[in-house]
Amino acid sequence: MAKDLHLVGFRIGRETFGVPISMVHEIVRVPDITSVPDAPEYIEGVINLRGKIVSIVDLRKRFGEREITRNKKNRILVVEVDSKMVGLIVDAASEVLKMPADDVEAPPNVFDEGDLNYVTGVGKLKERLIILIELNKILQKGELKRLGDVAATQLGAAV
Amino acid sequence: MSFFSEERASELKDLFFESATELLQALNEEGLDLEKHPGDPEVVRQVRRTVHTLKGDSAACGYTELSALAHELEDALTPELAKQHGVKVAEVVLSAADTFQNMLNAYRANTPAPTGDRVFAAIHALIRKPALVPSPNAVSGIVTESAPAKPRFEWSEYEKMVMTDAVSRGLKVLQLALTIDPNCVVRVVALQMIKTAFSDLGTVLVVVPEEGSPLDKVEVITAALASSFDEEYIARKCKIPAVISEVFVERYTAPAAEAASTNGAGGAQHAEEDALNLAPEQNVPHQEPISEADSFSTSSLSTAPESTLRVDAERIDAVLNLVGELIIGKSMLTQTINEFDKKFAKDPLRAKFADALAYQARVLTDLQKSVMKVRMVPVEQLFRRFPRVVRDVSKACGKEVHLEVHGQATDLDKSILDVLAEPMAHLVRNAIGHGIESPEERLAAGKLKIGTIKLDAYHQGNNIVIEVSDDGRGIDRQKVLAKAIERGIVTQEETARMTDGEALNLIFHPGLSTAEEITSVSGRGVGMDIVKSVLERLKGSVVIDSKVGQGSTFYLKVPLTLAIIKALMFRVVDRMYAVPLGSVMEITRAMETEIHRVDQHEVIKLRDQVLTLVRLNRLANSTSKQKKIFIVVIAVNDRKFGLVVDKLIGEEELVIKALDDHLVATELVSGASILGDGTVVLILNVNSVVARLGRSNISDDLRAGASA
Repeated sequence: MAKDLHLVGFRIGRETFGVPISMVHEIVRVPDITSVPDAPEYIEGVINLRGKIVSIVDLRKRFGEREITRNKKNRILVVEVDSKMVGLIVDAASEVLKMPADDVEAPPNVFDEGDLNYVTGVGKLKERLIILIELNKILQKGELKRLGDVAATQLGAAV
Repeated sequence: MSFFSEERASELKDLFFESATELLQALNEEGLDLEKHPGDPEVVRQVRRTVHTLKGDSAACGYTELSALAHELEDALTPELAKQHGVKVAEVVLSAADTFQNMLNAYRANTPAPTGDRVFAAIHALIRKPALVPSPNAVSGIVTESAPAKPRFEWSEYEKMVMTDAVSRGLKVLQLALTIDPNCVVRVVALQMIKTAFSDLGTVLVVVPEEGSPLDKVEVITAALASSFDEEYIARKCKIPAVISEVFVERYTAPAAEAASTNGAGGAQHAEEDALNLAPEQNVPHQEPISEADSFSTSSLSTAPESTLRVDAERIDAVLNLVGELIIGKSMLTQTINEFDKKFAKDPLRAKFADALAYQARVLTDLQKSVMKVRMVPVEQLFRRFPRVVRDVSKACGKEVHLEVHGQATDLDKSILDVLAEPMAHLVRNAIGHGIESPEERLAAGKLKIGTIKLDAYHQGNNIVIEVSDDGRGIDRQKVLAKAIERGIVTQEETARMTDGEALNLIFHPGLSTAEEITSVSGRGVGMDIVKSVLERLKGSVVIDSKVGQGSTFYLKVPLTLAIIKALMFRVVDRMYAVPLGSVMEITRAMETEIHRVDQHEVIKLRDQVLTLVRLNRLANSTSKQKKIFIVVIAVNDRKFGLVVDKLIGEEELVIKALDDHLVATELVSGASILGDGTVVLILNVNSVVARLGRSNISDDLRAGASA
């Protein structure tokens, strides 16, 4: 009997993504961000998280969302990757999802290729699809593009 | 160690490695000392003390090879032997130190430890005896059963030494024999109770059996106390009902011969020794040097409070971070009070708030300073490894070199100190390898036969300068230049225009060594390159001063600390940046209309000098439309540049936090800092900023910068 997965669910565009709850340090509102020169476009800059400098990645830009709206629902997911804290800006983050590991299916083949191999699975929770992602891969150097688009169309096709 | 949990044991081992490293350092120093004063009984005793502690510590961690060798060495080392064999003993001690080091490295790497057979053999050769049976000298819980009427005290060499030492310092030393009540149930508790009783009475010098040794068969506990109480009082205090049945107290007097030999041999050299000996042992009123007084050391049963503490640097950083948080909290309070002021200007509570806040601010500042101080360590920690380096290298080169050390007490940030060790070692080796001439050459040049290497450290403003100087042949400018041309580093024409300083700086070029041949010590031309790059990384500099025939001096200039800098803060467009105040030459105002363009550079005339401008707004890929601008004049490698900024904010001491995350790492920024109000300010690396933005055209560059 597989254990339940505990995920922090967050939204980017229309999709819900999930990362293991153990990786998430905390979720904070978006404060003033100090931008850093020379950084890739999806790096928003750095913030002061209670005395620690934490770099901020705009996950929406990272996923190639075209329309980025700033509103009060935006959150920063502070996660720990390779023992370093990184903040991820997401459209909204509010729920903790529990789902049996059995309900997670391996990602469609298309994700294995190229830039999209950070999708570790697609979970079905009631009527929703949750895209499970591996943060280490997302935060590696290199460009990733338009997950939002590809994911939406592929998932649409899959459902 | 079955009685420790895994975690505890590994913690213990970490502690052991740390303290063992220090002990080995001390052993190296003592070995050198012994070489200088062969047969000095005082030094021999110091060596024994160090080896003894090492033995105890390693045995406690289960490192049998090390403890066996240490045991052997401790046993063999007697003042008599040292007198008999002189310098050879020092040789053995030093090679044992090396073997210990190898063993430690092996333990650390979890590989089988070397056996140290060579050292064993050397020790045996010294004492010319087959391997010793475990000697009664070992302080391992051997108790002599003696008649209750008048027990005999059988102290080991080491214990006697401790006691004699105490007596010679004018303390009243008492030896005690306590017979444990045969009906006493828990003997471990008995020992503990007795020790508690002792600690109220005076300083415990020795207790046999030691803590941790089996007590089942022990009937008598013997101990030596340095105490000011009289014998009767002590006897009464120690007689714990149902635990101790019999107490015998006697005053200990040092054996006359021993005391005499100490004074006779040690007296004359004592002053000199004090000056030379870098280890803090002589200042500590108790048998173990500070550095060895580790809490886990099984051989240290003393109750004297420890005056040093080993703390993980990370923990200090954590405290520092919290202090930073407090400061942010303070400014939040200040803001709130200002608002409160506006609303209730007449409220009597207002003044109370303000007072409390001012008080808190003051304490905070002190707190921050104290935490910063914790990170500072004396340069001595760096210097003390050099006597051994000098000895080994000078021996290898067949030269005679004397090391002079000054300014050991100068404090420096620990992180800088650690990094400086390598470049300094290169400089010292170079100085001996290339700088100091052979004894014959020196005599022919009319110099003293023995060369001198000098290490010095002192403050200079916000910097620490470390000097490494020798009185050797100096660096020959022509030779350096010839070599540089040969290697194609510079051209003939270029050399003609070079100043002396520039010519000497060529030696920092990788692959340039003026040594005619490559030796094990130097000559590969890598060393100076390392010196240069390390200092650049530390935001320091290195300057050479050399006179042919008289010697060379290297000045290593490093910032006092990497953690705090004084910085000038300013605003460009809507972003805040800071540059180290040390690089700021002056600040001036100008109008946009005064800016001229020359060959794709923007320049301005400042007091008859042409100043190249660097537009920082290109960092943010935006343009400012201000007519009036501020220009911060900075010096980079002897050249001046003007940074164009919109608004000056002021200078402040910034606590630097590294921006080493690969996501945001950029050479343009050397770090970030959090201001009192919680905003993050970036500290610019002026060298890179000027290199990147100073050169190229403005509008094209904007795009290039954006895509980079």
